[in-house]
Amino acid sequence: MKKVTKDVLIDASNRLLFEMDDREYDTLLEEFDIISKQMELMGEIKGVDEAKPMTFPYEVITTYLREDTPKDTLSKEDALKNAKNVKDGQIKLPKVVG
Amino acid sequence: MNYLDLTIKDIHSALANKEVKVSDLLKEALSRAKENKDNAFETILEIEALKKAYELDKLEVPKDNYLFGIPFVAKDNFSTKDIETTGSSNILNGYIPLFNATVINKLYEKNAILIGKTTLDELAMGGTGTSGHKGTTFNPYDKTHTHLIGGSSSGSAVSVSDAITPFALGSDTGDSVRKPASNAGLVGFKPTWGRISRFGLFPFAPSLDHVAYFTRSSFDAAILLEALAGRDEHDSTSSPKEVEKYTDFIDHIKGKKFAVIKEIKESITDEVLNKKFAELVEKIKNKGGIVNEVSIDINLLNAIFPAYFVISCAEATSNNANLDGIKFGPNYGGKTYQEVMFNARTKGFSNLIKRRFVIGSYALMKENQEELFLRAQKARRLIVNAFNDILDKYDFIINLASPSVAPKIGAISDKLSNTYLIADNYLAYANFGGQPSITLPLGFKENLPFGVNVTSKIFTEKKLLSVTSELEDLIGLKNLSIRTYKKEEK
Repeated sequence: MKKVTKDVLIDASNRLLFEMDDREYDTLLEEFDIISKQMELMGEIKGVDEAKPMTFPYEVITTYLREDTPKDTLSKEDALKNAKNVKDGQIKLPKVVG
Repeated sequence: MNYLDLTIKDIHSALANKEVKVSDLLKEALSRAKENKDNAFETILEIEALKKAYELDKLEVPKDNYLFGIPFVAKDNFSTKDIETTGSSNILNGYIPLFNATVINKLYEKNAILIGKTTLDELAMGGTGTSGHKGTTFNPYDKTHTHLIGGSSSGSAVSVSDAITPFALGSDTGDSVRKPASNAGLVGFKPTWGRISRFGLFPFAPSLDHVAYFTRSSFDAAILLEALAGRDEHDSTSSPKEVEKYTDFIDHIKGKKFAVIKEIKESITDEVLNKKFAELVEKIKNKGGIVNEVSIDINLLNAIFPAYFVISCAEATSNNANLDGIKFGPNYGGKTYQEVMFNARTKGFSNLIKRRFVIGSYALMKENQEELFLRAQKARRLIVNAFNDILDKYDFIINLASPSVAPKIGAISDKLSNTYLIADNYLAYANFGGQPSITLPLGFKENLPFGVNVTSKIFTEKKLLSVTSELEDLIGLKNLSIRTYKKEEK
């Protein structure tokens, strides 16, 4: 695994839209060091790179299409119930254009 | 003995025979919930639960509905209409779902009564029961509060081991029900992936997530499976396979083939646990079961944890992108909409969760994907193939569920040791392959319980539960709780 740097991790957390305390990045670097060693162990598995990636526990075949009819819709009132900043029946956000 | 100390099956008989009223049962459950000091609850639903109990008092107890009037709790990552549901994360404080998870609706239809929502590791991402927004959840077997109960389904495990309720809903993505079941002396069961709808369960890593639960007997686990299993049009991954009569126990230990994975066995060094396991193996043989040691490539076993970690963090990063403080959850303001989200996520997630998201996001980056995420998915396939090859030849895989009794809070593990990589984390193989997997209480060490795990081929729950019910008779710890356990004198 290539060397992980703090800058890459800061960039990743900013892209995930949060920030972390400085010492958390040090903890993360330690964690990456362990993951890197554990992932090296994975490289020991015979034929691992030739295997097909597995995305579900077993083959799931869904062969139907549901009817195109609306159901389980939320009322406007319900949809806004959990939002903290609501104005005129809509969720209010800061202005995008000045 | 109080009726609440019994299994679902026996409580049902008492209700049907009018020995006890639903409201009496519920009053006792609520009183135990309030007295419990293990930090098990996010919410206790006293008024709603009692109201329902008084309604049910007026009805005849249907003989064919074991769950009528039975109190239960649900991990706080199951959506419950009009009841705050936080996933034990500050980012969801105050969030009130507009609908019920399918499993909650199914239990309501059976007239089971929800008495509370339970604590978990934040958003179910963790195995210690220490990372939820309400702090550490403790093991009821240890009144000094120095030992973990484990997680992530921590509070649900407390509820059943303290006999507050005879069953509790949890979720199991790596071992989040089956591992705490070992620490808490409980039956912890996850059926086949897809057997129970996950609609309304907060997604953590959907390719691994299962609805799972704690009970105090295999029969009770079968009762619940009959009630919860089945196709749900709200969950496209739920299986259309027929729901069986799981409580008809027709299989027996006699003639069944059990595989003990040699490398897992050898990664566990605790003599007390190993002795108890060896005794169980002898008892199975005496009952006519066939038990063989079988080997798996140690490199595959060593890969279970890192593959799990990479896949689950990667899936979690994407699944939790909707937690933005805009549609729900606390809003801390900001000058731009990005800043609103940034503030909500910075304040709402704990450091541990953030680190996991960064790890998942890193593994998904184009330049790292092949080496991390895809390699983990490839290893997953080989791991699943290896275990399924064994299950083609054997009815069950059986090993100790954990290398020790519940660890002390704050204990540090060597994350590159066999104990950590294999013994402590191997249970995730059944999340990779979706096989039904159950932990049963096996014994005690210094008055703390530990368990044994039994796993079978996908969609063979009926055979599995029939046989584990017989194993319970051999072990002699059926319906274990802190209220029925007699302490061993040192």
